[in-house]
Amino acid sequence: MYADQRTVMKNVQLVGVLERMCQGLELTDSQFELAKSRYEGVGRWLADAEDLLIRTVAIYLQGSTAIGTTVKPIGSNEHDVDLVAHVSEPDHIISPPALKAAIGNRLRANCHYARILEEMGRCWRLNYANEFHLDITPSIPNPICGRGGELVPDKELRDWSASNPKGYKALFLERAKLIPQMRLMKGRIAADSAGSHVEPYPKQVGFKGILPRTVQLAKRHRDIHFQNLDPCLAPISVIVTTLTSRSYEFCVRNRIYDSELDLLCDVIRCMPFFIQIDDSTGRRRWFIWNETTDNENFAEKWNADPGRAQAFYSWHGQLLADLESLTHIEGLDMLAKQLGGAFGRDPAAQALDGMTESVSTARRTNRLVAAPALGLGVSASSGSTPVRANTFFGSDD
Amino acid sequence: MVLGRRRALTASQQFLNLQANPLSAGCGELHAGSLVWWCEVTPYPLSRYYRLRIEFRQGDTPEVFAESPDLKLLAGGRRLPHVYRQDPPRLCLYRPRTYEWQPWMRIDQTIVPWAILWLFYYEEWLVSDDWKGGGEHPHAPEVETRSWKRRRYRGESRAPRHDEAAPA
Repeated sequence: MYADQRTVMKNVQLVGVLERMCQGLELTDSQFELAKSRYEGVGRWLADAEDLLIRTVAIYLQGSTAIGTTVKPIGSNEHDVDLVAHVSEPDHIISPPALKAAIGNRLRANCHYARILEEMGRCWRLNYANEFHLDITPSIPNPICGRGGELVPDKELRDWSASNPKGYKALFLERAKLIPQMRLMKGRIAADSAGSHVEPYPKQVGFKGILPRTVQLAKRHRDIHFQNLDPCLAPISVIVTTLTSRSYEFCVRNRIYDSELDLLCDVIRCMPFFIQIDDSTGRRRWFIWNETTDNENFAEKWNADPGRAQAFYSWHGQLLADLESLTHIEGLDMLAKQLGGAFGRDPAAQALDGMTESVSTARRTNRLVAAPALGLGVSASSGSTPVRANTFFGSDD
Repeated sequence: MVLGRRRALTASQQFLNLQANPLSAGCGELHAGSLVWWCEVTPYPLSRYYRLRIEFRQGDTPEVFAESPDLKLLAGGRRLPHVYRQDPPRLCLYRPRTYEWQPWMRIDQTIVPWAILWLFYYEEWLVSDDWKGGGEHPHAPEVETRSWKRRRYRGESRAPRHDEAAPA
């Protein structure tokens, strides 16, 4: 009975640690609010332009900030905040360089923006040092997409290419809302312990949202994994996000899980199911379709450079192995080592600090109990003993 | 027994309590006026199991040793914090002379949970090299000595302070 409870609590605690780790990696609420006020300011500045084209530009979030999957880049304090500058009714066929230049000119006309403006391949970047940078990508409607898609400049800024930031966000958020089916473990524990009320950790830190957290963990693991390899081979975020969200929908609709950690591992495990492979031409080709518009293959570059596909599969195998190994770990030191290797030492240490602090707080407020197989916790269960106040003492021999 | 005073628990009473509490489930040896108890404990669902040896002689204070795994080895040779002895590690769980532990208290309800708490902070210390469990780390002369302990805890204990909880 105790061994069963230990397994359950182990998974719950691991989820708590991973959750805390993600909290330390993502854009904080205040950073998000600051970014929002900054890009709304940009929106107002564009709206006040004399150029009619620029006046109609709508600014909105796309990418990880829009769907809550931000991860702080390694070795930098600055998050990427991706924005779309969308012209909904261009009166003539405008070329990507022309629209980009028009937006750039307007931004440069503001001396504040001019100082922090940087030109990127197909977007404009406003650098807010030590906070974030706003990447503003021009876009126009895609007349042939029936799903509200847009056109954004291609990498070379030569032509428009299909995309659908709003549709993508909506689909991701829809999937994130799907509620997984969990076996009732709490009930099982209670039954096992002869009907006594067992709920040793009532205020657990669960995942804020399993899908966004899974994406964040995968992205962070990718950043660490490719740190010492060729970073160009790393799968792009939209690939990680798309495969994770499709897999999440598949897992949640078809399977039942014992814990959030089981679900997390299964979602990662099933990611490759959603890569379409075509060997018909004698040369393998990969497709990860954008489901919200036509003809956007996120894996396009894999077909030009199969090394990228190989890099994806070897990284994916490592991510899955690292997550699955967590349940076998015994010892907070071993956990810190494993998490540190997989996700970076600082976020791992920060996550464990939060756990230590929760025990220390319970101790200070006289709520700490010790239970067989579970160890320290905050509320009484069968077989638990309150931990009286004590002062560790000691010499060096 | 003087009214208001608490009677020191005998070694056999302590033994029975250690045996009955699932937290200290294990085995031991009971001798005349003394006991040795072994139990496996874990400080957290994500922690290891540790084997403790508790030695107690009536009129004395309990001694707790972490037998396995080898704490020194896990620490990579670092000196262990909050121990009376490095090898085998004898854990310093409470401040002597301040009545944090008294002979009327049950070992399974004080010493054992404190040892579990010690092990929690020990595992954390392995990671951070920083003891987060607080406490005092006096120089050697401040540490309790066996002769002092024998004087202090001989016979019945003092009356409990009014702010102390009643024994279970």
